[in-house]
Amino acid sequence: MSSQSPRKGSLVGSRIRELRKGRRLTQTELSDRIGIAQSDLSRMEQGEYKVGLDTLFKVLQVFELKMGEFFGETEDPQAAETRELVKEYQGLSSKAQREVRDFLRFKKLQEQSQPEPDSPAAPHEEETS
Amino acid sequence: MSERRKHLEFLRKTAKEAIWAGDYERALTLYDDGLSLARSWKDRDLEDLFTCNRATTLIEMDRQDFDLSRLKEILLRNPSGYNGALAGYVAANAHEARGEFGRARFYAQTALTKSRELGLEELTGTSLNLLASLELHEGRFEAARDLFQEAVERLESEGESLSRHAAVATDNLGYCHIALDRMELGLPLVHRSLSVLDSLGARQAMDYPTLDLCFASVKTSRLDEAESWGIRALGLGKEFGREDVVKNAHYLLAEAYSEMGRDSEADEQYEALAVYYPDFPALKNYLHQISLMEVINLRA
Repeated sequence: MSSQSPRKGSLVGSRIRELRKGRRLTQTELSDRIGIAQSDLSRMEQGEYKVGLDTLFKVLQVFELKMGEFFGETEDPQAAETRELVKEYQGLSSKAQREVRDFLRFKKLQEQSQPEPDSPAAPHEEETS
Repeated sequence: MSERRKHLEFLRKTAKEAIWAGDYERALTLYDDGLSLARSWKDRDLEDLFTCNRATTLIEMDRQDFDLSRLKEILLRNPSGYNGALAGYVAANAHEARGEFGRARFYAQTALTKSRELGLEELTGTSLNLLASLELHEGRFEAARDLFQEAVERLESEGESLSRHAAVATDNLGYCHIALDRMELGLPLVHRSLSVLDSLGARQAMDYPTLDLCFASVKTSRLDEAESWGIRALGLGKEFGREDVVKNAHYLLAEAYSEMGRDSEADEQYEALAVYYPDFPALKNYLHQISLMEVINLRA
């Protein structure tokens, strides 16, 4: 596992500072919400403060982040688009949702009967080229 | 010493042994008995002493069903006596257990000042150990290390080098060195502490040293050793109901398995850890990619 992808452990403090500023929170406001002293949050942001698992997960809870987001991992754009689509679908009336499902069925049938011109080449075509 | 005092002293000694062995229920029963006797004999000193000892036992059991204000009353009534210093020390422990660290520091400092004035070496050493633990909780490793060092020296100067209190302070000092990447200083201290605690039958105090050895082993990539210490720490944490030890042991074991490429075993540990954090269902997947070893504090 670790040999395939290096695991990250540093820069937690600077990431907290980044996220706090992004949400326009002062150190006092954030430290109140996490339940630690402002001076300790300041040290945490400077990378001088080691924390327990509970505190680390409390920070994530305040920012409503998952671990990957906390460490600045960007979400796959396609996954983000899919998530948005699902959200929009869920916001529709049940009649509109039925129409969307019908349209999806129609598009699926259409694609099955008409293969796209840029679909991957079949193996025998590779051999002859 | 009167026969009554001798009898109560025997109860205290037996109860203390029971606490160190992790048999808290037995210790509580003995202290309850002693408290009832002291009250029936109208011996205020012994009643205060047993009140403090009983509260200490309840704190060890993660229980708060005792009167904290009574401890403070004992402290005020005995400004220059042993019971006053002890009450201050127990009040500090009670505040620490409640997460009231500012108050805990105040009472620990009070206990330290009083025990120094009275020349109570053991209570001075344990108060120093408590103050250091409060520093450690807030991640001030250098300050904590210096206080633990002083605690160990105090306890050892009294010929207490083989005592359980000295062993606990020695382990804490070792952990500080390990966290500060001074393995060559920290490891011998933690091994020595564990050996003393083991020889004295203080099972309930052996969880932190084993956890610290697991931590050091993961840090230095001695992964087989990490597995062995981690399993031991996990067992002790479960046996004595120490949730922080259990969570940290799961995390460290998962780290070790993950580094060894034993993914399914790492998964099991991450899953066990995730149970404590139901708001983070994706915890396992992310911890597979992220190491918290450089930011984690096992005493926070």
